Amino acid sequence: MTFAIQAEHVTFGYSPDKPVLEDISFPVRAGTFLAVAGPNGAGKSTLLNILAGFLKPQSGEVLLEGVSLRARKVQDVARRIAVVRQEFIPVFGFSVAETVLMARTPYFGRLGFESKADRELAASALDLTDTARFASRPLGSLSAGERQRVFIARALAQDTPILLLDEPTSFLDLRHQVGIYDLLKAAQLEKGKTIVAVTHDINLAVQYCDEALLLGMDGSCRHGRAADVLSAEQIRSIFNVEVFAGRIGQENFLLPLGKLAKDSGQISTGPDSKQS
Amino acid sequence: MQPTLSPRTLLIRIITAGAFLVLVMLLCSLVGPQAISWKAVMHGPAGPADANPDYEIFVHFRVPRILLAALVGAALAGAGVVFQALLRNPLADPYILGISSGAGLGAMVAVVSGLSWTLWGRSPIAVFAFAGAVGTVWLVWGIGRFAGKYHVTGLLLAGVVVNAFFSALIMFLASVAKTEQLYATMFWLMGNMLEEDFLVLWVGGGCVTAGIVGLFFLSPKLNVISVGYDDARSVGVCVERIELAAFAISAFITAVAVSLSGLIGFVGLIIPHAVRLVFGPDHRQLLPLSSLGGAMFLVVADTVARMVVAPAQLPVGVITALVGGPFFLILLIRYSRKVYWLT
Repeated sequence: MTFAIQAEHVTFGYSPDKPVLEDISFPVRAGTFLAVAGPNGAGKSTLLNILAGFLKPQSGEVLLEGVSLRARKVQDVARRIAVVRQEFIPVFGFSVAETVLMARTPYFGRLGFESKADRELAASALDLTDTARFASRPLGSLSAGERQRVFIARALAQDTPILLLDEPTSFLDLRHQVGIYDLLKAAQLEKGKTIVAVTHDINLAVQYCDEALLLGMDGSCRHGRAADVLSAEQIRSIFNVEVFAGRIGQENFLLPLGKLAKDSGQISTGPDSKQS
Repeated sequence: MQPTLSPRTLLIRIITAGAFLVLVMLLCSLVGPQAISWKAVMHGPAGPADANPDYEIFVHFRVPRILLAALVGAALAGAGVVFQALLRNPLADPYILGISSGAGLGAMVAVVSGLSWTLWGRSPIAVFAFAGAVGTVWLVWGIGRFAGKYHVTGLLLAGVVVNAFFSALIMFLASVAKTEQLYATMFWLMGNMLEEDFLVLWVGGGCVTAGIVGLFFLSPKLNVISVGYDDARSVGVCVERIELAAFAISAFITAVAVSLSGLIGFVGLIIPHAVRLVFGPDHRQLLPLSSLGGAMFLVVADTVARMVVAPAQLPVGVITALVGGPFFLILLIRYSRKVYWLT
């Protein structure tokens, strides 16, 4: 069994006395789809930045295909990991096509121009993410969701075995949320990509991901099968919120309900919930 | 998928702009307070018996000055493009990290101390200005690095504060300087072209051309760096190394330009924007076209500066904003509809 990424005893804090992540260890097997969930401030994005090599853990280390990230060069990491950060508008008005082609920068020829193969990779990434129709428009003229898909297209054009995504569906409408997860799942199943996605959407994560990592505010960390980690009890205790649990086919779904929600009385009768 | 910028298109545009620059330089070399005829110039140097004043004026006054304007304009506009990309800030210009005040302080010190030696035919003003520019920019870069690797704001703030501090020193020196010393530095601080030796022009032109060609090879990476630090890393660009190289080259060519012509403003800020408005933000194209555009612009501005109050001359720095401001505003209105960051 080969591991794409292994986090080993990773500890990180922005101030020395208050670690965000404490002694976190988990493996990501090659070809799996891992969801990272947890409350705001639990360190999900921080963890993603550590896995991508942007932040160095204060202790412990991250192994990328068995070799420590510390020992790997930037280009070396970029050939294996593509990162989709939360969407933003770059300062200068690059077009969608220009942005996606940037993923190929390290492979450009000596004069700094892309090859035909680079263009084909970019074109297929645009098609896959349904962004080809606004390829020539500047990023700033797109909606946040469209921009998010462009950044996903750029990551796909990078053509790496591993994809790290920070809330890839945060600005997307329902159709595109499902579209992006279908796209990621297809990349996993057909091309054997390893995917790590930070997400707040527990239900999509359960439907699409094989494994899940649930970070708590107390520095706790649970890792395992998505359906086990993202169970109603775990979500209740980690997020401190009541959820209604139901079952569709083979997976559960969870609906968070606050005190004043119309159906909040239904929570205790949900199929998966224990009597409290 | 259509290429966003093909090498062929770029080459055609560069050649067209280059040809245009040569044309502008030729036309401007025939314009001046003293009318000269192209026919007489083509006669070449006269024998000792009958003088050919048209040729003398052309070769010893017009050509060196126009070459100087072109090389300073190219350096400032090219460096402006790179500073805007590295700092991810459309308001950046080559002077933003303290080059201007460092050079100004150097020039002021040279004038006030009354040195009179020369190096390569250069007055101490140029030498001190160059040293001041390079020293200051390294100081600012060092402080910025120390303040935070990932935040350009630290670097920008360091530049602003050092600029303010050195400007205060310049004003202090100005207030204790003698009147005629003050007059000499006033022209320098406003940006002024003088006829230069060909040796100086060759050395300066060589440095600037080599610098811009070097920057061109970094330009695909500047595209990604201008999007973001982490973005550039995640696609596999060694940001630190590229940043350092691009920064060192553009600071160097700016220092060369400043030491030759004083503080000419506006070119390094506005020409990159004008070219970006018309041709888009791709640095592979933006850098060469801005350099050529900056050269053209400064040649024209300097010709105007030679003409308006002839036979006296204005500092070219006065003209750049006077001519360039309205020109840029016309571009802005004409093209702003297709550029999102203005909406």
